[in-house]
Amino acid sequence: MALEYIFRRIILLCFMLLLLSIFTFSLSFLFPGDPLTNLSGIQDISFHESDALSEKYKLDQSIPKQFISFITRVAQGDWGISFASQKPIFEHIVALFPATLELALYALLASIVFGIPAGIISAAYYEKWPDKIINTLTLLGYSTPVFWLALLMIMFFCLQLGLLPMSGRVSLLYEIPDITGFILIDILLSDVSYKFNAFIDAIKHLLLPTIVLSTYPTMVLIRFTRDSMLEVLEQNYIKTARAKGLSRSQLIFRHALRNALLPVIKQIGLQFSSLITLAMITEVIFSWPGIGRWLIDSIYQRDFPAIQGGLLAVSTFIILATVTADLIHSVFDPIIRNQTHGKI
Amino acid sequence: MAKFNFNTDISSEELNKSPLRQLWRHFKANHVALVGLWLFIALTILATLAPVIAPYGVNQQHTDALLLPPSWDDVGDVRFILGTDDLGRDILSRLINGTTYTFGLAILTALITTLLGVVLGVFAGMSKGVRSSILNHMLDVTLSIPSLLLAIIIIALLGPGLLNTVWAIILALLPQYIHSVRNLVVQELSKDYIVAQWLDGANSWHILSRGIFPNIYEHIVVIFTMSLSTAILDISALGFLKLGAQPPTAEWGAILSENLAFIYLAPWTVALPGILLFFAVLSTNLVGDGLRSALKKRKAI
Repeated sequence: MALEYIFRRIILLCFMLLLLSIFTFSLSFLFPGDPLTNLSGIQDISFHESDALSEKYKLDQSIPKQFISFITRVAQGDWGISFASQKPIFEHIVALFPATLELALYALLASIVFGIPAGIISAAYYEKWPDKIINTLTLLGYSTPVFWLALLMIMFFCLQLGLLPMSGRVSLLYEIPDITGFILIDILLSDVSYKFNAFIDAIKHLLLPTIVLSTYPTMVLIRFTRDSMLEVLEQNYIKTARAKGLSRSQLIFRHALRNALLPVIKQIGLQFSSLITLAMITEVIFSWPGIGRWLIDSIYQRDFPAIQGGLLAVSTFIILATVTADLIHSVFDPIIRNQTHGKI
Repeated sequence: MAKFNFNTDISSEELNKSPLRQLWRHFKANHVALVGLWLFIALTILATLAPVIAPYGVNQQHTDALLLPPSWDDVGDVRFILGTDDLGRDILSRLINGTTYTFGLAILTALITTLLGVVLGVFAGMSKGVRSSILNHMLDVTLSIPSLLLAIIIIALLGPGLLNTVWAIILALLPQYIHSVRNLVVQELSKDYIVAQWLDGANSWHILSRGIFPNIYEHIVVIFTMSLSTAILDISALGFLKLGAQPPTAEWGAILSENLAFIYLAPWTVALPGILLFFAVLSTNLVGDGLRSALKKRKAI
């Protein structure tokens, strides 16, 4: 049963990736300009180059063959070159993605650490003052545009108080060799004399973007945990336990919590999609050298191969994260495995 | 168990009223939601009558008053209540006119999305078998791409601009909308009274118009408020990223990014559009939340 479920999910994953790659492939024809230029990233193609490139990209053959050659090139890591930098796009993505991922992971961690307990407290004190306070805060958090929040933070912490730096990942004073792309890990791995100072500095740089980025997912998790908890607390087995004379904390921690947190696991995986989008805005504001800022810059520069590559990388990552969360959810929750027959 | 409460006076009196009146009673009891509704109505009026209300023209420049702080500041001028920007344009007038672009266009966007989303969602909900399966998988893929990213891609195709932003956001919001409407329809279809109608020989159109739609339209309004708040946030975010409305259009996000260079010199030019944006989204969310809890309370009686 479990194997069948996993099998079905993997089929779905392949199907989603196939559709995504068809969409990305079709972009090179939809974007303005010559498809050959959009695919290869080489501008001003001369006449004799054009023949060789057409051969390579199979543009003289049927669309399905072009698509297969596109998939093969994507798998080999040949994603064309960027108009703006004339460097391979795959290199850019490998260099930039860890920065975004690092930011998104810390933000996700922060939202889990704050969001889930807040949601539980809110449900445990349903319609009493802690619930009301948390509810009001969630509503305010939901309604704050992320870029405005970032600017307010910058105005207050950087310009007014001068406590925190407002851009970049680490001060230019510290030179950190690039190993994994994750700045904190890189600092720990490096053998420089200013390791401690650099670490503190990197944390200071991380603080504001992480707070800004984690606001929205935290609100979502608070709401979701609260609703899920309230739903579980309505069920008959909880009423039975209550009738048997269990205390409130026993009810919540022993009986309700486990079942209420199951759907939250899936929700955490779904957060990646909003995290990556918000990361694009956050990165632009805090000059964070991640893939989001690069993608936005590519749009300004009408760098079509870069847009295409960035979209493919980001969406693939989001799809993988969603399916992984789904699988983890199914490991913990056997009920879900039985009812999924082509349903969402 | 309130469900089995037949004989108390209050609930029988309550049950005699029409569902819509009951809903309004529950909504009215929630004062915060009511404030949200008033704010929403005020913003709507502002959006429709902006050029009449605004004291100065959108792009009217006052060269004698550059980067003037709001009037309550010591060096402020009472002619310009919220101050001026670097080109000497009255910020109050620009913000009032911005309501039309950010809030008004967002309402328009959400309305068009509702129209398309309900039609397609009902179609998805009523179809069965392979067709519905393929549709669902397609929705799955588009749902996994975040709406703002989708909008950014569509803008990359169409080129930056305010109108393109509207199209992009409509297309980006649609999958979510179709998904929600489809779920509502499927939920309603499985209920007994619909089965009874089928057995009485009603056709699909009849079931849809007489059976399903009267029971889901209030939920559609809730989905509408959610997509409206997303639309406001997305329009302003795209304006802020310089992918949407282009200066000198007085869209709130665009005003914000235009004045970003003066964040140190003139922080009010950055803070004020943000506050309005915040209130616009907050009022929408308050109305949506109030409506949702009113629906839940009415169901509980």
